[in-house]
Amino acid sequence: MRFFWTLLTITLFLFNSFVVNADGRIFVTNERSNTVSVINAKSLTIENTIKIGERPRGIGLSPDNTELYVAVSEEDKIVVVDPNTLKILRKFEAGSDPETFGVHPNGNIYISNEDDAKATVFDPKTGEQIAEIRVGLEPEGVAVSPDGERVIVTSESTNMLHVIKTPENIIESNILVGSRPRAAVFNNSGDIAYATAEISGEVVKVDVRKAKIIKTGTTGDAKSKPKDIILSKDENVIYVAGGRANKVIVMDADSLEIIKGIPVGKRVWGLAMSGDGGRIFTTNGVSGTISVIDTIKNEVIKTIEVGKFPWGVVVRED
Amino acid sequence: MLIKNIRFLLIIVILVSFNLNAEIIEVNFVYIGHEEHPALLGIKQGIDESNLQGQFLNQKYNLEIISENKIQKHNFTKYIAILTTVKSNELKSLAKELTNIPIFNLTDESNELRVNCITNILHITPSNKMKADALKQWQTKIPDSKANPQSWHYSFKKFAARDLNKRFKKNYKTNMDDYSWAGWAAVKMTSDTVARTKIISAKNMLNYLKTKLSFDGQKGSDMNFRVTGQLRQLILLVEDNKVIAEAPIRGVAKPPTLESLGILNCSK
Repeated sequence: MRFFWTLLTITLFLFNSFVVNADGRIFVTNERSNTVSVINAKSLTIENTIKIGERPRGIGLSPDNTELYVAVSEEDKIVVVDPNTLKILRKFEAGSDPETFGVHPNGNIYISNEDDAKATVFDPKTGEQIAEIRVGLEPEGVAVSPDGERVIVTSESTNMLHVIKTPENIIESNILVGSRPRAAVFNNSGDIAYATAEISGEVVKVDVRKAKIIKTGTTGDAKSKPKDIILSKDENVIYVAGGRANKVIVMDADSLEIIKGIPVGKRVWGLAMSGDGGRIFTTNGVSGTISVIDTIKNEVIKTIEVGKFPWGVVVRED
Repeated sequence: MLIKNIRFLLIIVILVSFNLNAEIIEVNFVYIGHEEHPALLGIKQGIDESNLQGQFLNQKYNLEIISENKIQKHNFTKYIAILTTVKSNELKSLAKELTNIPIFNLTDESNELRVNCITNILHITPSNKMKADALKQWQTKIPDSKANPQSWHYSFKKFAARDLNKRFKKNYKTNMDDYSWAGWAAVKMTSDTVARTKIISAKNMLNYLKTKLSFDGQKGSDMNFRVTGQLRQLILLVEDNKVIAEAPIRGVAKPPTLESLGILNCSK
């Protein structure tokens, strides 16, 4: 009898984790609730809320999707979570005021340390710091090229994109852009990058190897202070979080002309895309919600309430 | 033979231009005022930050300090801009003397100076009228408000003001106030312009600052100057050492909202 119950428990457990994995999950940091919201990617409903630590902001997954990383800025740490069981596995010191980070294909984490004018590289398995790179003031956005050859760190108060060559971890070039660059994204081959400049309300397209701006577009609305930026799977379209303009701005990736503004919640900052490119998830800080956008219609299909001041978002599917 | 010579010349030209690129651009500021003035701390913070950016661009920023009574015999030709805390009358005579150099007014709030539209004075500090207008807007919501209108406050967090306050305090063990913010902003907008445009002549700098500036003063919107020489900016309303509102007050000021504060035109 006991054997039967054990078997049943195991079966239920396996079934349960199978279901969870099949649906995928969306993880959201809530900056002022000190939590991570866990959303079922299929039903688009809250599954769970993890108490994570003080001022969670940047969030990302290991290349094999087995670990979830969350930067808790006020604690100067990265928290490592099991994305299946949602248990906190460990924490490690990540320099002063870690804000955003990017995960390299080799598993290392590139972190912007906002207070210290530097970027640091950590091995999340050991928590060991591998390198430290001096950059400009208030480093913020971190983008890793898909081939892992380069990393871009934006420095907000020095108005630059710092192009870092890996694995040497040295600055290859510095590209001066508009006021307060906040986020960047590479194209699939890693030779082009796009970045947002918050105060000048611009999106720039740069040739990474030549360290030159190819094109500059504007987000149109005086209220739009662009933050996150992502590229569609076919590389034809970029999506920009419009901040106080409360919309996601869809732009032609070639001409940087505006195709559409999709109204979402208030003060939209974070963006993440589903694996098939069909959906975009936005963090709406002031509204305390996540908007789900269908990228074929370019419309919001659902709004999900999360914690206070949602900041970062990441999608896990496998 | 000719072709060979041309090729040789080309190589020389290329080598020389490479050398020029590697050369460090030196940019000099001068501060006129007391050494103990909080504006000077802000200026020093600005110089530090400009050099942090400059190291990536081969630019170096220097500061000289001279006292008010040494102005007469001083040679000002090597400076990109003058930063000063002198009062209205001294400012006016300085501006008359040195017409082709930007003079940043960091402390004087008199309305008259704005109305006069002196072409080479740039007022970082808000005028009395700007502050009064800010308070008036707020009093439409709370009539007996005793808030103090200020251009900066150490408790201000939004628009990365938190970051600037934090690094200033770390460096100088004191809070950033209105004057130190003004000093910081004057240096930073000048060095930003040097970084972007490579302008190193004072005359061209003055022209650029007055007509093309788009500056991130860590107060939200991008900043530029009015025809009066006044920097457009939001005003913080501070009560009990806390920022309780930002003017233009949302819903009270009409767009373009920043123009609801202060003097817009020159006297005829």
